[in-house]
Amino acid sequence: MRGTQPADLIRDHVVCTRRIRDVLITTLWISTAGSSFVSAQPGKSGAITPPLSPRNANYTITARLDPAARTITGAETITWRNLTSRPATELQFHLYWNAWKNPRSTFMRELALAGSSDDEPRRAEDWAHIDVTTIKIGGVDRTAAKRFIAPDDDNQHDETVMAVGLPQPVAPGGSATIDVAWTAHVPRPFARTGAIGNYFFIVQWFPKLGVLQEDGWNCHQFHAGTEFFSDFGIYDVSLTVPHGWPVGATGVQLKREDNADRTTTHHYYQEDVHDFAWTTSPDYIERTARFEHPNLAAVEMRLLLQPEHASQAERHFNATRTTLRHYGEWFGGYPYGHITIIDPAYQSGAGGMEYPTLFTAGTRWLAPARVTTPEGVTVHEAGHQFWYGMVGNNEFEDAWMDEGFNTWATARAIAEDYTPNFLALRYFGGFVPHVVREIALSRETDGNRLTGYRHDATSDVPATPSFRYFPSTGGSITYNKTALWLNTLERWIGWPAMQKIMATHFTRWQFKHPKPDDFFAVANEVAGRDLSGFFNQVYRSSDVFDYGVQELQSARDGDRYRTDVVVRRHGEAIFPVQVDVVFKNGERVTEQWDGTDRWKLYSYERPAQALSAQVDPNRVLLLDVNYTNNSSTLEPRGGAAATKWSLAWMVWLQECLLSWAALV
Amino acid sequence: MGRAGLEAWRDGIRRVNSAPALVVGVWALTLLVAVPMAAAMRSLLARHLGRSLAANTAASGVNYDWMQEFADQAAGLGVTFKPTIIGFGAILDNLGAFLDNLDQPVVIVAAALLYVLLWVFVAGGIIDRYARDRPTHAIGFFTASGVFFFRFLRLSVLQWLVYSAVFSWLHPLLLDRFYSRLIHDINVERTAFAIRAGLYLVFGVVVAACVTVFDYAKVRAIVEDRRSMISAVVEAIRFVRRNAVAAAALFGLNFGLFLAAVGMYAVIVPPVGGTGPSMWMAFLIGQFYLVARLWVKLAFWASETALFQSQLAHVGYVNRAEPKWPESPEAEAI
Repeated sequence: MRGTQPADLIRDHVVCTRRIRDVLITTLWISTAGSSFVSAQPGKSGAITPPLSPRNANYTITARLDPAARTITGAETITWRNLTSRPATELQFHLYWNAWKNPRSTFMRELALAGSSDDEPRRAEDWAHIDVTTIKIGGVDRTAAKRFIAPDDDNQHDETVMAVGLPQPVAPGGSATIDVAWTAHVPRPFARTGAIGNYFFIVQWFPKLGVLQEDGWNCHQFHAGTEFFSDFGIYDVSLTVPHGWPVGATGVQLKREDNADRTTTHHYYQEDVHDFAWTTSPDYIERTARFEHPNLAAVEMRLLLQPEHASQAERHFNATRTTLRHYGEWFGGYPYGHITIIDPAYQSGAGGMEYPTLFTAGTRWLAPARVTTPEGVTVHEAGHQFWYGMVGNNEFEDAWMDEGFNTWATARAIAEDYTPNFLALRYFGGFVPHVVREIALSRETDGNRLTGYRHDATSDVPATPSFRYFPSTGGSITYNKTALWLNTLERWIGWPAMQKIMATHFTRWQFKHPKPDDFFAVANEVAGRDLSGFFNQVYRSSDVFDYGVQELQSARDGDRYRTDVVVRRHGEAIFPVQVDVVFKNGERVTEQWDGTDRWKLYSYERPAQALSAQVDPNRVLLLDVNYTNNSSTLEPRGGAAATKWSLAWMVWLQECLLSWAALV
Repeated sequence: MGRAGLEAWRDGIRRVNSAPALVVGVWALTLLVAVPMAAAMRSLLARHLGRSLAANTAASGVNYDWMQEFADQAAGLGVTFKPTIIGFGAILDNLGAFLDNLDQPVVIVAAALLYVLLWVFVAGGIIDRYARDRPTHAIGFFTASGVFFFRFLRLSVLQWLVYSAVFSWLHPLLLDRFYSRLIHDINVERTAFAIRAGLYLVFGVVVAACVTVFDYAKVRAIVEDRRSMISAVVEAIRFVRRNAVAAAALFGLNFGLFLAAVGMYAVIVPPVGGTGPSMWMAFLIGQFYLVARLWVKLAFWASETALFQSQLAHVGYVNRAEPKWPESPEAEAI
């Protein structure tokens, strides 16, 4: 246990004061805006009154799973409405599972580019495909007119987007009814989708319309590094699976009917969502719990758990409660009234993914306390119900708007409810955890993933469409950089202003499709200042931030000391920073540097010698890739620290040498 | 037969305890390799910290932000400075690297090869001392070390061939290919872990068998003054086969000592402290553990020597004459 120092007491007091302030602000926010949180009434039928979204892409689906053959046979009726001001002349569909048809798809080529591949070649039955057998539009058979297109890269081998000409244009505001029948083969897991043993996780599984925008269809091919985008609507889905196999799915189960052929049909329904995912396995065990809050709508939680994780049920529920509570208080309420948590099977690769009203968590058989597995992933994926589920940005193009927002918010929520949490290292094939109690992870650097960003800081400009990021480093820009600049913004303008920005953006854009400029406009409007300069640097450039103390000199000059401090901007990006100079008599001088010039000199005549100088002492600028050079002291302890750590390292080295000597 | 193993184990421990200078000597050998590298690491760390205030938290506890920042710019030796070095994690890290056959940085491999070479040199002196079971003093020790160095160097070539096959062929076969196939359709983690643990056991038994054979080859080379290392290995295999239960029991008992040493360290390893006495205390506890590990290593050799000699007509027999400096031709030879 760490000793309590005076500085800790001061910090604790500050934290305590901040917490009280946060609670007051949150209470005020809920009291003023909270009525909108619960205005939409979640029904136990999946119905929501009044509608929250345009509901312009509605799906009625029936599907049957044959687990032995690993096939799905499905039929769907889509009722689609044209929300644009232009007539539509064709329809475009995602056929995601064709990404795993062969190694020539864009998805597989990008996966190879990222250096990721299976250990062994896949067997033929481990690949996937989805084949549209018939498609009728307004009752007219258009099967012969379907064709594959590759709008992103002209890859002729990619069959993840299908286009079909309309028999007659759909006018603005007009509707079309589309009947599609298809068969699909369930793969061994790819990108969280597929089957292993008797565990089936079925997502991105049906022919799904793209989004028609003013400039045409937004229907990207399936890419290895990005996710999805679709319109909101109503999903009415009947799934037939073997008798006795529990099903978890988007929405509410309305009905369950046993069939004569030892199968059961599960009928699920949900309004105001933009996707439908489901899973089934005879091994699932089911737990339920409830989230309650004085100012937020109650949420029924259903957990489908692997038997070997039975003891971790409450950890999953508590982490989900953390999200529903904090995200609800910070941004806005969760309107659906129910949520399904899936604990994916080992090796399913399905861990950590979001779908409307359902998400996959992910834990390990050995999951020590005070390590945020499964909490970290559970909070994050539950958080996607807000950033992705409700605020439906285009994940192909602007993935940072949900992944980055959510990484920032996850770190904040984890810090609220799971402090301290410790670093865990895993050994022996990754099965055995070892908790390093000396390393409590911090929200600012660990939660926001500074290390990953530092590696890949210049790999891509965030304004580049996400699907064009380099596959193996895109995550560092999407998740890490965004979380870091959001947290930097929070520390810069303060949590009350930040919370108001995010809540306003959430309220304004829930059940819609916001673009980056929409967020920046909200931020400028709510902050009451022009933050464009900051956004230009963090969003429209890959410049890195790196400030440092280049020189600290303090020498006697008569009866006083002359102190010179040179601070330097090593990186290309610019941010206003504070410079603190501390003198040996305890005096502290704080300067505000606009950070624009390459360097700046501060000189002082003081009765005491300087002790230290530090740029950004409060670490507002979390994007600074090298914080060690931010300070300099005339009483350095680098040597002592280096001695201590080299002694610890030496024990490790000697132990390592003994391992080798065992073979002599 | 198992009783013979127990007797040899007791006898081996007695022989190790009767020659504490050897324990100190091999510990010094460890320091000989580790201290210069630790000094190099200290220099890297000190240079990166410079006059930064980050050193204050690094000195008083763990500054994980700084550690990560250091790791991100590190090359060579520096890449091994990770949280894995903290406390008991260091043992798990090395044990894990051994069982999972993980790649080590070139600089660590180079240091390890130097260390192994030093062990090859002293092995003759150490086993000779245990075989004679009476003080041989520095003269006798270094004479035996010199006499057997080139023989054991030849044996090392054989060992290298065998261990190359074990780590480069058998390990990937068992724990990559075979393991992958076994768990291909497993969707329960503990089942996969049980399978992996079983394969670790198989791999461990193979390594233990190899170690045992090579240990007895050294013992026979010394006790019987063998010059052919191939014949020493063949005879060692014969000995182990004829005395399988005793040899296995002895290995098990010594492995138990190894586990006890590791377990003891897990209990007493202190948390990371500051730069004052706590730093030195942690270092001393680490050295105490390492001495215990070295003592166990020597107990293997001493007890194996005792077991082999217990099967001879004259217990304590050593073929080669004890060197008498300077008349000894063996001593002259070095």
